[in-house]
Amino acid sequence: MYLMVGWFLTNCVCNEHYLTMLCELDRKELPMPATQSLSFILERFKLPELNTAILRTGAHRAGMAEPAAQASTQARLQQGPSGGSASSGPNTGSGSGSSDPARPGLSQQQWASQKKAQVRAFPRAKKLEKLGVFSACKANDSCKCNGWKNPHPPTATRMELQQQTANLSEACRSCGHALAEHVSHLENVSEEEINRLLGMVVDVENLFMSVHKEEDTDTKQVYFYLFKLLRKCILQMGKPVVEGSLGSPPFEKPNIEQGVLNFVQYKFSHLAPKERQTMYELSKMFLLCLNYWKLETPSQFRQRAQKEDASAYKVDYTRWLCYCHVPQSNDSLPRYETCQVFGRSLLKSIFTVTRRQLLEKFRVEKDKLPPEKRTLILTHFPKFLSMLEEEIYGENSPIWDADFTMPASEGAQLVPQTVLSPVAVSGSPLRKGQAGSALDTVVSEPITGEKRKLPEALTLEDAKRIRVMGDIPMELVNEVMMTITDPAAMLGPETSLLSANAARDETARLEERRGIIEFHVIGNSLSQKSNKKILMWLVGLQNVFSHQLPRMPKEYITRLVFDPKHKTLALIKDGRVIGGICFRMFPTQGFTEIVFCAVTSNEQVKGYGTHLMNHLKEYHIKHGILYFLTYADEYAIGYFKKQGFSKDIKVPKSRYLGYIKDYEGATLMECELNPRIPYTELSHIIKRQKEIIKKLIERKQSQIRKVYPGLTCFKEGVRQIPVESIPGIRETGWKPSAKEKNKELKDPDLLYNILKNLLAQIKTHPDAWPFMEPVKKSEAPDYYEIIRFPIDLKTMTERLKNRYYVTKKLFIADLQRVITNCREYNPPDSEYCKCANTLEKFFYFKLKESGLIDK
Amino acid sequence: MALVSADTKIAELLTELHQLIKQTQEERSRSEHNLLNIQKTHERMQTENKSQSTCPTSPYYRTKLRGLYTTAKADAEAECSILRHALDKIAEIKSLLEERRIAARMAGVYNDSDPPRKTMRRGVLMTLLQQSAMTLPLWIGKPGESPPPLCGAIPASSDYVAKQGDKVAARVKGVDGDEQWILAEVVSYSHSTNKYEVDDIDEEGKERHTLSRRRIIPLPQWKANPETDPEALFSKDQLVLALYPQTTCFYRALIHTPPHRPQDDYSVLFEDTSYADGYSPPLNVAQRYVVACKETKKK
Repeated sequence: MYLMVGWFLTNCVCNEHYLTMLCELDRKELPMPATQSLSFILERFKLPELNTAILRTGAHRAGMAEPAAQASTQARLQQGPSGGSASSGPNTGSGSGSSDPARPGLSQQQWASQKKAQVRAFPRAKKLEKLGVFSACKANDSCKCNGWKNPHPPTATRMELQQQTANLSEACRSCGHALAEHVSHLENVSEEEINRLLGMVVDVENLFMSVHKEEDTDTKQVYFYLFKLLRKCILQMGKPVVEGSLGSPPFEKPNIEQGVLNFVQYKFSHLAPKERQTMYELSKMFLLCLNYWKLETPSQFRQRAQKEDASAYKVDYTRWLCYCHVPQSNDSLPRYETCQVFGRSLLKSIFTVTRRQLLEKFRVEKDKLPPEKRTLILTHFPKFLSMLEEEIYGENSPIWDADFTMPASEGAQLVPQTVLSPVAVSGSPLRKGQAGSALDTVVSEPITGEKRKLPEALTLEDAKRIRVMGDIPMELVNEVMMTITDPAAMLGPETSLLSANAARDETARLEERRGIIEFHVIGNSLSQKSNKKILMWLVGLQNVFSHQLPRMPKEYITRLVFDPKHKTLALIKDGRVIGGICFRMFPTQGFTEIVFCAVTSNEQVKGYGTHLMNHLKEYHIKHGILYFLTYADEYAIGYFKKQGFSKDIKVPKSRYLGYIKDYEGATLMECELNPRIPYTELSHIIKRQKEIIKKLIERKQSQIRKVYPGLTCFKEGVRQIPVESIPGIRETGWKPSAKEKNKELKDPDLLYNILKNLLAQIKTHPDAWPFMEPVKKSEAPDYYEIIRFPIDLKTMTERLKNRYYVTKKLFIADLQRVITNCREYNPPDSEYCKCANTLEKFFYFKLKESGLIDK
Repeated sequence: MALVSADTKIAELLTELHQLIKQTQEERSRSEHNLLNIQKTHERMQTENKSQSTCPTSPYYRTKLRGLYTTAKADAEAECSILRHALDKIAEIKSLLEERRIAARMAGVYNDSDPPRKTMRRGVLMTLLQQSAMTLPLWIGKPGESPPPLCGAIPASSDYVAKQGDKVAARVKGVDGDEQWILAEVVSYSHSTNKYEVDDIDEEGKERHTLSRRRIIPLPQWKANPETDPEALFSKDQLVLALYPQTTCFYRALIHTPPHRPQDDYSVLFEDTSYADGYSPPLNVAQRYVVACKETKKK
């Protein structure tokens, strides 16, 4: 990760003209190629070193972006070529990259600190001379000279070191007073303070050059302000404090860093630890990049933004220059990290541009990325940023809440989501608080594609799932899982497409994982200004729908797609809409109406339709709606059937009548969602399960190694044989399952006969007499008011004859009710209850004897 | 049995191919050295020319360079011949695979006792069609050689008979009487009646058609290289029949842009009345699935 960051910094800071310019500052004195300006950053943050350490140990990386001890900088400086290893691509190894071993490159920061060290090592007299230049003359009150000027200006900067130190009595070139008059205030000042002032002198010199070279007026102005500020501080021996309307850091809470970390927790905490770590690393990388990213100038910003935004941005930009950017090379000023002092508003202004530049950078220079990081950057990073974008610009994103916490524990994490699924929850809040009881029971985790994370996924599952008795031991399953080398992963994805039984959505899933296609839930809004991209996509959707559904009036489509109550799940490829599902949620009615569904003709039969519907299902599970209703026309029925829709409608008519749009000649279809199913991964999970079972069967076969001749009994006219009698079946480990035993007897006649026999025996029992016939009202007038479900043995005999007892359960229930009715109506010590007790014992004994209930 | 021997044959060919590729690398490193020499000589010449700007090229350098270039040319030719040899091997492997596929298909057709073949998902069929287009060999001619028939846009000769297993565009009558150009595979050709038997490529509506010669257009068997043989490509605005993406039907279309590189597709505008200007937005179609459109519109 950090190798990558190092690479990135090398590349991005190179074009920072500010640093470059600073490097040129004293070119004569210290020749250095501009491209090495950032080696100091790398040095300072010890990126290369940390990186190798991390690669070896896999240690936790938190906090390493903090500035490391300066001491190591010095140590490494003496080792010669520095920043190179950070910029090394796959071919250069840890070699020298861009730095030239003959001329140890020094960045501006390095140069500044070296220069400071040099100046601080001067003899005191020389130091005073240097400070005198920035100190007001105190000869008398009337002298306005604010800095001693050497009467013998050095001809070349290079000579400065060898030059004679000016004598304290040397007269100032401008006011004529002696140097001593300029530095009198420093007489009793400690060496430490002198050194601090000297540091500021070096920084002032730098700033002077910066002001001189900067072309952007806004930036120039700030540099000039800082220049004056530092000068004043030297004069007054004060500490620089940026004054004015800028305010002081932090400027917003929560800060960017907190927001991004919340984002990782919010979106990825359900992932397996390794993947979560990956996401965490991506976020760290993003934050580090941001801390060193050169922001666009207010004038650049103004060209693409609203006027009011621009003025706010200018304030932020000035803050950034004063507190983050300039202090990077100018340590007289207190330094803050961009991500720690700024919050969502700055990120909002810079994210789009920064993201584009960042991705462009990575794309252009992808060959320089270490190969093992390439996938991470090229596939995961864009998605990571897309998802982050939703949260930055989304209305109700929770990640910016001051008191953001994840709902519940990680274990109770909602519905498992597709890894990196970028389905946007635009404008609609999250799952916070929605992790209701219904979803808490979710146990299944998606078994995801990559082999290496399977064991973890399994143990996780193992812990949660209630094991089935007599199931295959988990160790065995794990072992098998390890042996299943995913052929698709080994031979490249193409082979999996070749197989004729590849899942319908396999290609689409792969494409999504690689970032070729994206899914976003979007909609129009009247209350807030929709962003331009969303509007463009809505127009795109309207075009796709009206082209693919020629029988729908175009105006009608437009009206619904742009209706704020309707939303559309859009399928985006190369930034263009190629398909979508327009829907309207009715949360109060507990269903969603699917309004339009189409994929553009030249992108059909690629599984996009299926993948779209699966994403829509997961989106709805997240929002607690579990029914889809739609009017399907004759061509659409096939599609909806494949997506699990049926013509059998379970939602009561009263719930949708008057809500759903009625279409003539179309068929109403419904799909019920199961919140435990991760729909976008379902076909993949099933495929894996099949593989596992196949492997388990193969193992068993290789253990048994026995071939029996086929059964011939069926040819001879036998219609059915018990499973146990098949030769060899027991050796395979087959057992009649517990379920099997409890199963109803298949033959209804058999059950009838058993029950008839049983009932006859009960009726002949000596204690059965009170229950032989229905209770007569004449004998117990209030009986039927107390007993709601009367039953007796005569009625049971009739029910049996009428074949009412199709299961033993019904029979036992009636029998039991005879007893409970009796106990309810009669006092416990009555004759009737005594009879009931004996009879109950008797018939339970008989039920067990006949095998109807377990012994 | 025949299948097994084909398997071993393919394995042998693959080994040979492997060897050839290794040889190519050897050749390449050898010529590398010589090329470097040439470059250095030129550099030296230039510096010397600068210092004494009188003579253009000294006889010494002239002979030296001539020798070096002759070697370089020989090296390049050697490398080229190995590469061609490797291409031949690939073609041989492909034809063996094709033979095997046809044999398996015939066996499937005539063997009733086999379980019914699983029909492919349409998506899989589309992927196969795309792959077939992608792996269509690029025609690489010798210098000065012009591309043969069935390379890119160059039509087959008038007496050409498509072989069994070849893919063609076939004009068939649909159920509703409409004529349609479909993607089909040749089953046989009868010289007596001059008629083809072809199978619809689409398994869902698998149907055998008997069609006269003029209803058949063989598909290209090589891609034309736009960098070396641009004349073998359809040019902008030319009327063609192109396979509509993700379908198995050919429709009339105008070439929007021809490919720029060997792996590029044509960009075409399909005739489509549902668009205001009568044409679809530009869509990509591989060289494999673009053929000349003969007839003028009759409707």
